[in-house]
Amino acid sequence: MKRISVEHLARVEGSGGISATIDGNVVTDVKFSIYEGPRLVERLTVGKTPEEVVNIVPRICAICSISHKYAALRAMENALSIKVPSKVSLFRELMHLGEMIESHSLHIYYLALPDYAGFPNVIAMASKFELEVKIALEMKEFANHIMKTASGRYIHGENPVIGGFGKFPAREELLWIKSRAIQFMPFVLKTVSLFCELDYPDCPEEDTVYACCHPYQNKYGLAGDEIILSTGEILNKDDYKSLTNEFVVSHSYAKHSRYKEKPYSVGALARVNNLGERLKGEAGKMYKKYFNRRWQRNPLFNNAAQALELLHAFERIPKVVDKMLKLSDPAIVKYNAKESKGTGIVEAPRGLLVHSYEISDGLISYTDIITPTAQNAEDIERYCSIAAQKLLEAGDKDKIKDRMELVVRAYDPCISCSAHMAEVKKAPTEDWKTKLAEIKETASPIFVGVGKRNRSDDGAGIELALELKKLGVSDVYLESELEDYKIPWKYKGSRPLIFFDAVDFRESPGKVTFLPLSYIMNNTRLSHMFLPFASMQMKYKHLKNAYMLGIQPESIEEGTKISRPVHQAIIKVLKEMKN
Amino acid sequence: MEKENNDKLKIGIYELTGCAGDALLILDCEKELVDIFNAADIQSFLMAKSDNIDEELDIALVEGSVSTEREKEELLDIRKRAKTVVAIGICSCFGGIQAAFLDQKEWEKNFKKVYGDAKMTHTKPVQSKPIDAYIKVDYYLPGCPIGKEQFLSTFNRILRGNPPDLYRFPVCVECKWNENDCLLNKDIPCLGPITRAGCGSICINHNLPCVGCWGLVEEANLTSEFQLLQEKGFDYDFIKKKMANFSGTGIADFLGNLKGDKK
Repeated sequence: MKRISVEHLARVEGSGGISATIDGNVVTDVKFSIYEGPRLVERLTVGKTPEEVVNIVPRICAICSISHKYAALRAMENALSIKVPSKVSLFRELMHLGEMIESHSLHIYYLALPDYAGFPNVIAMASKFELEVKIALEMKEFANHIMKTASGRYIHGENPVIGGFGKFPAREELLWIKSRAIQFMPFVLKTVSLFCELDYPDCPEEDTVYACCHPYQNKYGLAGDEIILSTGEILNKDDYKSLTNEFVVSHSYAKHSRYKEKPYSVGALARVNNLGERLKGEAGKMYKKYFNRRWQRNPLFNNAAQALELLHAFERIPKVVDKMLKLSDPAIVKYNAKESKGTGIVEAPRGLLVHSYEISDGLISYTDIITPTAQNAEDIERYCSIAAQKLLEAGDKDKIKDRMELVVRAYDPCISCSAHMAEVKKAPTEDWKTKLAEIKETASPIFVGVGKRNRSDDGAGIELALELKKLGVSDVYLESELEDYKIPWKYKGSRPLIFFDAVDFRESPGKVTFLPLSYIMNNTRLSHMFLPFASMQMKYKHLKNAYMLGIQPESIEEGTKISRPVHQAIIKVLKEMKN
Repeated sequence: MEKENNDKLKIGIYELTGCAGDALLILDCEKELVDIFNAADIQSFLMAKSDNIDEELDIALVEGSVSTEREKEELLDIRKRAKTVVAIGICSCFGGIQAAFLDQKEWEKNFKKVYGDAKMTHTKPVQSKPIDAYIKVDYYLPGCPIGKEQFLSTFNRILRGNPPDLYRFPVCVECKWNENDCLLNKDIPCLGPITRAGCGSICINHNLPCVGCWGLVEEANLTSEFQLLQEKGFDYDFIKKKMANFSGTGIADFLGNLKGDKK
């Protein structure tokens, strides 16, 4: 039988959006949506020759087209057992540094800085930062020039091919690139100070896992054959799926990723967190001067990390050029494509990029491409959710939209989607009834009552479950019945799971709410151990399909009496359940 | 002297499904960018600015192919608002690489392979098509991505109410100007003869064959190119796929007629 696999389309950039729904005092349902249509690029490659695929796949994204080309070349060369001469590797590194400079300078100066300087766009900002805007533009132009030299044109150049390059640049050209890179150094140093000293808000701030390529020889770099995580784990490139675990979400044509069921982040901040100690020269000094604990917890520091990487790139270019000048131009390595497979990983400006191919009969039979923004999507949603909730609690509801945009933009998800994207929705009141009805309509849910009967209103969940049992509803469980680890959803496929409990969501007693369980796990302090235990037993698909029907308690003092408003709420819920 | 905004033509730059390369190329016109913003009133350009206005337009530049219902609606709305619509890049002109599944059934099969049975809640997908499948297009500016020189000349001309003046010959002509050796003579499968010029024969200048990324030139002699490559010993399916890579829906008729001839 053929594998029923979801073969992954990789492509993120273009139009997208983030939305959060506010339900009373809680933020629910933060979604990072990609409106970009499906292109099925991975499927398009099937049946084509390796060289044709190398032409096609960079068209996934113009902004990272060089990284796509580079990752595809590495994957193909791994599959075809090609070892390229060192001049080829060096020239590829040069083109990759060009792309990094182009992308980072555009992002930090043109897209991010206006937010912090208080201007709507870069053109308005030019009044205050005239020199910076002008030199940043020159920097971007210089980076474009490097990419044009290496790949043939600004975007989608075809000069890099499997086994080498169509043409190498003249000596004069390389020397010009070297001297121009050195000229930029004073400005680059200023750039690092500017972005490392920006006043980044401390919301959202929370730990996450960072992943990036593990470069060879203890160096800071943008390619490697292993993936290193901030937890210290190291994965071989061929095991990339154990990191990415892609899954489809209904609100986006870009798939999401989780590592060990948890969101993780990739990008400049991931690289600086994981490899910063390896930075040498001026970049090393700046790292020591500015890096601190907040960089590990706050995605907004990605802007600072990108500035630091600009410095690394400008220090690296003269060295690469010097090495290239000593070597003669090698011919393209010839190969024979038959049966094989290979994976290539590089660091695109916005993070880890994976290309993996299988070749049979000389033609591509399987392609898997995983882009950085697809991997970041879950963490983008998580950090936006944290920020929105904190701001809501602090009474700064008006700031939510801007702050979410700030977070999304810091991840630099690709130019076109970083402008103009946040939207704050308000959940309709009494929404729980609609949601409950919707879920009951699609599939019959499993109910679990949670709580402590000896702590007054905290017994509401148990009480509700008991009443339901009396009514003869099937698949109703009490927390106490599940303590022997017989978890009903394990055996019942992916039916929705609804927990009942008293939940403090800062409303008047007796108010009812209906929230995704993941929200409860992320945002509230739990008084009992059952829910963390239960959610740990769940697979991701279960967690996505699990909900909490919560009743605002009046009191959870010791005692068995349930308060009047809560009692009335129980009756109200029972009435809905009967319908 | 700078003109007041209300004297300038109102222009919108829009991106549908694609790689955003054409919009990026416009941003990459570093030196000319300020002039572009001064010469016209850029009302909407999502990649460059956040205070976009969606009102009446004189000219709309549209990049990317239509691949969701939402994009279809957006495109119809752009057409309603704009006096002139220009398709920029091959995705918009011909459907681009994502239009290579010419058959609806095949597209559906592949869509399922990628996304499984997941129900998309945000917008309904449709098979990728060039924008003229839905609206009248006034001018086409092909390229993957569009070329800077052609873009600036086209932009200039339409600002003055003139139609664009694009090359109507294949890459081979530019290739001769650049004095390259013909790669087809060396038995390398080059698509120069059927591909629209404008890129400056960039790949052949780098000793690499043309991949056809600017789409088919008008009245391209596809049969002749096909026979030529067959004579050089290339496989029937290989040639067919190679010619289709970037041609989008433009090559559908030719491939449809080919079906019977396989020998």
